[in-house]
Amino acid sequence: MTDRSRSYSTEGIVLRRRNIGEADSILTLFSLHEGKFDAVARGVRKAKSRMRGHLEPLTRVQVHVARGRSLDVFTQAETIEAHRALKADLERMNLALYCAELADRFTIDRVEQRPIYELLVDVFHALDGGASAQAARYFELHLLAITGYEAQLDACAICRQKLPEEETLISGPAGGLVCRVCRPAASSGRILSVRAIKVLRYGRTATIDQFDSLRLDDALEHELRAALGDLVRPVLDRELNTTRYMDALERADRIPALSANHVQSDQSNPVPPEP
Amino acid sequence: MAEGSSTPEPIQRLVESFHRLPGIGPKSAQRLAYHILRTTEQEASALAQAILDVKQRIRLCSQCMNITESDPCGYCRDERRDRSVVCVVEQPLDVLAIERSGGYRGLYHVLHGVLSPMDGIGPEHIHIRELVVRLQAGEIQEVIMATNPSLEGEATAMYVQRLIGPAGVKVTRLARGLPSGADLEYTDDVTLARALEGRQEV
Ligand SMILES: [Zn+2]
Ligand SMILES: [Zn+2]
Repeated sequence: MTDRSRSYSTEGIVLRRRNIGEADSILTLFSLHEGKFDAVARGVRKAKSRMRGHLEPLTRVQVHVARGRSLDVFTQAETIEAHRALKADLERMNLALYCAELADRFTIDRVEQRPIYELLVDVFHALDGGASAQAARYFELHLLAITGYEAQLDACAICRQKLPEEETLISGPAGGLVCRVCRPAASSGRILSVRAIKVLRYGRTATIDQFDSLRLDDALEHELRAALGDLVRPVLDRELNTTRYMDALERADRIPALSANHVQSDQSNPVPPEP
Repeated sequence: MAEGSSTPEPIQRLVESFHRLPGIGPKSAQRLAYHILRTTEQEASALAQAILDVKQRIRLCSQCMNITESDPCGYCRDERRDRSVVCVVEQPLDVLAIERSGGYRGLYHVLHGVLSPMDGIGPEHIHIRELVVRLQAGEIQEVIMATNPSLEGEATAMYVQRLIGPAGVKVTRLARGLPSGADLEYTDDVTLARALEGRQEV
């Protein structure tokens, strides 16, 4: 697939967009055949651009790309799945962006990664169809497995002894569950309930629809989010932007909005520097 | 930058300053710096003063966050404008664009950015709080979200809706027609759907 012809076609999902110059954007596309790559979309921010709207983040798109000296150039783009419902819901949009950033961080440029690509397509499809945050948990669990960081859930991640059915420490650095004997050897971790362990084990073999249809209460959902976060974090070199963003939204939600006079405005009002 | 150590330090500094401006590459930065070198001292100090004035005399309107020399700004002071409607935009330049269209007589609110999950830009990085403060006064009945039809613009509009919708303020989104001159055939679904949703009786 990577012959050096002048152009190529592939389908992919737009992971990221950076605007450059007056009307151009550089997009990071996670593609089926070429893996992840950056390419420039010229004039895409102009109202008359034919590619405008097709090359938005989170869109699954069929593209035609011309090889360039430094950066390749998108010459055609047509939407396969716009994921319109997902983009019209703040929570699900955030979950999808989080999965997109994870996919970006777990892959390297120009290496075909079909299983990750197909997983991302499935997760976006599910989120677009109304799936909950469990879709993102499913993505984390399977992304770890595909990339060689499969969570150890059957035996102790340190001594490989079989685990009794009880609440158990789960440790990100150790890569899974840790038995009582090895607990002191795990540098960090949190205690996971039996229910949460069962849900994680089920998630390994379930389809995304089966996994999403599990009814989990808030406490359990929170437990799973924290545990999978612990497992993902050691693989990343730095914090995800989307995580920082979602934390900021949560902080802002705790500020009483229209109810109180807590909010004070800026006194000096300098013109803010560009972000 | 290929500016060798033989170049006098003040020129190097100027080249670097120009290079940091949007859209200015190393070659252009060099050209601009050497152009300044050839201008008269009056011209150079007029330019320097203009830059300083922008930084020292222009501030944000304490009400709408638009850039202004006097606070409150001209729009907020104008008694003929409709004080029950606020149009929320990303940048000061968007205010000018809407004014040019001539179809709007309400007030503005400038966010100075948009929520950008991919860059970690959250509500605390833009002027959303100040909008909430303005709404607390109770005079505003409708907030028109005029952020761009990008993912970030939509995220910002949805966030503001979630933040202030429950307080009984009406939040509307700028209706987006098809971009003029675009072929229907080449228009994406989202744009088409929006154009349909936002359709108006003629
Ligand atoms: Zn052990
Ligand atoms: Zn003002």
